[in-house]
Amino acid sequence: MTEILKVQDVEKYYGNKGNLTKAIDHVSFSVDQGEFVGIMGASGSGKTTLLNLISTVDKVTCGHIFIRGNDITEMKSNELARFRREELGFVFQDFNLLDTLNGYENIILPLSISGVPHKQAKSHVEEVAKRLDINDVLTKYPYEMSGGQRQRIAAARAIVTNPAIILADEPTGSLDSKSARMLLESLENLHKNLNATILMVTHDAFTASYCSRILFIKDGRLFNELVRGSYTRKEFFGRIIDVITLLGGDAGNVL
Amino acid sequence: MFFKLAAKNVRKSLRDYTLYFLTLSFSVCIFYVFNSIEAQKAMLSISSSALDILKSITMLIGYISVFVSFILGFLIVYANNFLIRRRKKEIGIYLTLGMKKGKVARMLVSETFIIGVISLGAGLLAGVFLSQWLSVITANLFDVDMTGYRFVFSSMAFIKTIIYFGVIFLIVMFLSTLSISKYKLIDLINADKQNERQKIRSPLLTAVLFLLSVTFIGVAYGLVLKNGIQKFDTMLKIEMAMGAVGTFLFFTSLSGFFLKLLQFNGKLYFKGLNMFILRQINSRINTAHISMTFICLMLFCTIGILSTALGANNALNNGYRFCAPFDATFSAAGKMDIPVEMAKYGFDIGSYTDNTLSYALYRDKSEKLTKEAILGKVLDEIPDNARSFFIKQPLLLIRLSDYNRLMELQGLKGITLLEGQVAVYSDYAEYTPELMTALGHYLEKESSIGISGSTYGLYDRILTNGIVTSTASGIMIALVVPDSVADGGKIEKSFISFNCKGDRKSMRKKLETDLYAMQERNKDQKDGIKVQAETSDIVKTIAAGSKAIISFVGIYLGIIFLITSAAVLALQQLSEASDNRKRYNILQKIGADDRMINMALMKQIAIYFILPLALACIHSIVGIKVANDVITDVGGINALGNIITTAVMIAAVYGSYFLATYFSSKQIVLKGRS
Repeated sequence: MTEILKVQDVEKYYGNKGNLTKAIDHVSFSVDQGEFVGIMGASGSGKTTLLNLISTVDKVTCGHIFIRGNDITEMKSNELARFRREELGFVFQDFNLLDTLNGYENIILPLSISGVPHKQAKSHVEEVAKRLDINDVLTKYPYEMSGGQRQRIAAARAIVTNPAIILADEPTGSLDSKSARMLLESLENLHKNLNATILMVTHDAFTASYCSRILFIKDGRLFNELVRGSYTRKEFFGRIIDVITLLGGDAGNVL
Repeated sequence: MFFKLAAKNVRKSLRDYTLYFLTLSFSVCIFYVFNSIEAQKAMLSISSSALDILKSITMLIGYISVFVSFILGFLIVYANNFLIRRRKKEIGIYLTLGMKKGKVARMLVSETFIIGVISLGAGLLAGVFLSQWLSVITANLFDVDMTGYRFVFSSMAFIKTIIYFGVIFLIVMFLSTLSISKYKLIDLINADKQNERQKIRSPLLTAVLFLLSVTFIGVAYGLVLKNGIQKFDTMLKIEMAMGAVGTFLFFTSLSGFFLKLLQFNGKLYFKGLNMFILRQINSRINTAHISMTFICLMLFCTIGILSTALGANNALNNGYRFCAPFDATFSAAGKMDIPVEMAKYGFDIGSYTDNTLSYALYRDKSEKLTKEAILGKVLDEIPDNARSFFIKQPLLLIRLSDYNRLMELQGLKGITLLEGQVAVYSDYAEYTPELMTALGHYLEKESSIGISGSTYGLYDRILTNGIVTSTASGIMIALVVPDSVADGGKIEKSFISFNCKGDRKSMRKKLETDLYAMQERNKDQKDGIKVQAETSDIVKTIAAGSKAIISFVGIYLGIIFLITSAAVLALQQLSEASDNRKRYNILQKIGADDRMINMALMKQIAIYFILPLALACIHSIVGIKVANDVITDVGGINALGNIITTAVMIAAVYGSYFLATYFSSKQIVLKGRS
């Protein structure tokens, strides 16, 4: 198994000397090719900050992050832009589709930005659309789509560049349960059939149960790790709930 | 407390809306400067006739200022609405915190008040300083000397500016209170989440509209080029309406049409951020096409006004050459010995000159000859106003020897008439192209004219060099005839013309002053002075006055139109910058680098600014060409020079608005990024 992502002793501080917040505090882990990793934690635990650091949207205070062996904490801004479009795919909670473009155009945009020849780009988009079963919404505009359709367009946009890793930030956050399930099945499908590497941030146990491994984070530190292994999803879900109970339910917290 | 919050908000918006403040202050400044024209006299050695003109310019500017204040009022209300719309969410937060709508409104009113006071103060300050320069321009236009520097301040213009803008700000306050009371809380809070629905028109309809717009504009061009604009008739109105409708349809369909056209070429459409830029423009032109149309037409007016105002200037400059061939002309009705008559009023013509020419206009001996003898032959070519009014007037005669002596005094060559030949004279034809053409045709058609029963041949050329110095000679057409033909006829009008002796310039000035004094002395007399005296200086001052009126009014309106359209465009772009911010953030996240994003933003704003200007320029090329035909007739102009001056002015104002918009949008779009 090749190592895709390696987070090495990363720290992220906010604020100044008088009022320092350690959003991320000495976190280290790694993700291998073809893994579907979830990061769970309560609000304010630092999970989104961690994702922002990995996605190069934010900069670390210290520590290093390697993606396919490249240290992204040492890159310059233009290098980062190129890196983002070639190695990373994003799926956001609020879809982040461009409302002025239709589905097809939203998906092809990253390829246009990278300067992929149009013919090649077109066949990429068609392939991805078929896989995610969104052919019939390609000509629609975001406001004409359902939440689930939007999120699948967003997922298609994330994988169309064939990135090293797909980063998903609460992808089911604004979906109803049916759409959420459909989206998660598509992600699982990407993971299983295309061997895509996915890193997903969520606070929802059901969403997390689709992952192959889950990292729990609390107050900026890694707290626990769960591997699905040979468990069924249902069993895995139960174990996740146990950890969550443990996370939030210290006897000390109650008193 | 509210005032403190309002003051804080203003400080915040001062940074965000530099453009709004600059536009406000600039409008105030222009308004003050042009209303302060009369005060310029303090710095100029100006004649009494020029002072009269300056007064009438001030009055005219006063009327136009009412119109201008409507335009500026519209601009300010519009801008303020944009600002409030951008702050919907902020207002929503105040309301959820339990502030009453009335208090929010009061806060907005205090803000408007503060903004108003600041921009009024800054604008007036700039205006007072700028108006010092205006004196130099005024001096130049009137061709007079400056008496040395004196600080010019017009309290009248100062108070007027405060009142006009005060009223505008009061209206703005009222309207913003009104708009607050209409908003629903839920809409305010969700203001930044609402996506504008994309209005998609069918490609076929867009194509049809586009073709229709091009046809309309094309036909309007064709018609106006064919018919010209000399007459403001129904035809011209139809042409203008067609042009306006065409422009509207053009902006309605343009982006949709080009979007479809480009989509056929996938390679170009899907290259880099092209698709994004096109969609950005298309998404808003659907809602912005009305304002685009107005901006385009307004820019067209600006270009037209500025270049023709500067052009008319030159034309008038050349025109008065024919009105003022001598330093002075004294005239009287009937037969009169003018120097003797003037001596009665204690005015000695001989003290100003040593070479006077006295001459007269005669009736023919039968006293039956009227202008109809000539104009009647080419009646359908004569302008309506000249036809009814002048045609029954007697056609007067000038003796050939008088005419030749008058030419000699001007340093021109006289003419020689063959035996039994007369020449047609018309100074009026010099300013009236139709009359010139008509007389030309008359000479082609006719070979003789009858005077008191005898028939005379016609000289082959129309004489147009002036024979009197006067703003309105009233001669229109006359005949230069051999002395024997005129002699013995009744004298209709007597003249004396001369050039001053010694230092001509100072002598002319003395002459004008003395004439003015004489008139003052004798104005209570019962029958008044029978001699009318006009000097070349008065004629030139009146010409300079018309020049000044056209220039001032043209530049005033031109600048106001220009800043209004540029400011509306800029505000539209800025108010949408926050929507764009989200979009550009998405672009950044999916890997567009800063250079691409800046380029896309630049292109998007540039296209928005260039589209209306480009169409306005094309309109103007046609418009100026037609207008030029009119002005060139009046006296050739240097069209290219004026167009370049206009272009530089527009480029400077419009260009700075464009750059300011780009940099502010960039700041808004990229704000808060790592």
